Amino acid sequence: MSIVIKNLSYIYSPKTPFEKKALDDITFTIEDGDFFGIIGQTGSGKSTLISHFNGLIKVMSGSLTVNGIDLGKKYDYKQLRGKVGMVFQYPEYQLFDETVERDVGFGPKNLGLSQAEVKERTVEAIELVGLDFNAIKDRSPFELSGGQMRRVALAGVLAMRPQILVLDEPTAGLDPRGKKEILELIKRVKEHCPTIVMISHNMDEISAYCNRIAVLGKGKLRGVFTPSELFGNEKIIDEIGLRLPTPAYIARLLRERGVPVQGATEDELIKAVLALKGVRDA
Amino acid sequence: MRDVSMGQYYPAKSGVHKMDARAKIIFVIAYIVMLFFIPTVDGYLRGGGRLGGYIVSAAAAFGIIILFLITAIAFSRVPVLKVLKSIKAVLALVLITAVIMIVFYGGEANHVYWSYGIINITLEGIISGSTMAIRLFLLVMGPSLLTLTTTPVELTDGLERLLFPLSLIKIPVHEIAIIMSIALRLIPTLIEEADKIKNAQKARCADFDSGNVFKRAKAMIPVLVPLLVSSFRRADDLAYAMDSRCYRGAKGRTRMKVMKLGWRDLVGLVLICITFFGVLMFVYDYFGVAGIVTNWAYSVIA
Repeated sequence: MSIVIKNLSYIYSPKTPFEKKALDDITFTIEDGDFFGIIGQTGSGKSTLISHFNGLIKVMSGSLTVNGIDLGKKYDYKQLRGKVGMVFQYPEYQLFDETVERDVGFGPKNLGLSQAEVKERTVEAIELVGLDFNAIKDRSPFELSGGQMRRVALAGVLAMRPQILVLDEPTAGLDPRGKKEILELIKRVKEHCPTIVMISHNMDEISAYCNRIAVLGKGKLRGVFTPSELFGNEKIIDEIGLRLPTPAYIARLLRERGVPVQGATEDELIKAVLALKGVRDA
Repeated sequence: MRDVSMGQYYPAKSGVHKMDARAKIIFVIAYIVMLFFIPTVDGYLRGGGRLGGYIVSAAAAFGIIILFLITAIAFSRVPVLKVLKSIKAVLALVLITAVIMIVFYGGEANHVYWSYGIINITLEGIISGSTMAIRLFLLVMGPSLLTLTTTPVELTDGLERLLFPLSLIKIPVHEIAIIMSIALRLIPTLIEEADKIKNAQKARCADFDSGNVFKRAKAMIPVLVPLLVSSFRRADDLAYAMDSRCYRGAKGRTRMKVMKLGWRDLVGLVLICITFFGVLMFVYDYFGVAGIVTNWAYSVIA
């Protein structure tokens, strides 16, 4: 279930005064099992890029292969969209049906599954996002709290049992606790859906959860890094204009005050500090 | 859905863009009035004119108006295709009407080609159908040039100022204008929002493009419900935002952009006056112009 992107470019409203190059010659691969982060400033082309993954935007130039399907050629939309689950920003704004159960069942029903299968998947998805199926199934999605609405919307995508889950800023607009809950939920989902792609502006989230990170800037790929490569390298960080995640920032402050610690992630920083303690104890 | 560009503002730096919206609105009204000064074949013949005279004066009058339109488009730096595209919306309507007019022409006619019952194919009918088509096409293109070169905000501002006298008889001109500009302002936002929701539902394998009309209409429910919910939310937010900035209607309100008539508007005025005079000259045969040209045309043909 990999996503192979080769020389992908995209231009909005070509040949008009509104022309805008959104993607410029992007090449990288998202491997099976990745928790893949995509970061970049607003307008850097992140959303345009992920909209390619399930065929919402047609390939204009370059090539894109998702799970062996060449998106430049003719293919079965339903099959692809069932496999690549897409959760957009503020997914709760897509809720529409009278009850939570029917709303979550919308995706599986569109896949043409049997009633029993739809029901089974709906129950599974609602339980997966940490809600009680029997308590919530007959309620209107519009009378839920913000956090619950987002979970229901997420369940609506998970009910299709995707193999790749793409999330566009899943924690935007939530309070710190809601953010944490959603992220832990995504981590749990990863056991069922092996590949996850996440856009986020929050470097803490990116560094804590992702194993590889692509950095976009003005439609161009600035590189694909591991968290420690990216946040351990101040040159790259300053050049791209990113904010450091909290652990890396603490490490930087410590270094500036003469404490020799290296580390970009929480684990690395803890190890480094513990090692330092060991040195002092000895 | 992004392609609803018909008559939408086309940003460019040009004299026409910089003109006062009020002046442009008045010019467009004058332009429309001008188009209706050109008589129909039937009216002209009943008035005692010859068909040849009609062809010459109508062609000349339309020619002058087209010349004016071309000049305006050239000054506006809007691609001609953009203006022509506005015809697309009325093309089918106009063509069908023209065909009906040609086939069922019931006015004065001396040149009958073929006649059966109520069906009359005549030279007069053909001319009458084609002048109607030209008139309607020109009628659509003029105002679309206005909307292409004027932002909706300028347009409603201009309208508000022009309709000012109505507020003396207690018509809430300012409120109507602000409702209009909010509505216009929100159209692209709603389209964008609809696009987003549509994409989100497509990602859940919603199918909008197959099945019969009823099936398709039903398929739009998952888009329309969230769209409606979000427009109410948006309207609430906007009302709060306006309230918290002390918006309280027209009374004592000043403007950020004060409209000022300038030399460009004067140039426009002169051009439209010349055009109007030219049209009237041929329609009402001032100085015997139409007669002279007609006689000359006959002599050329002979």
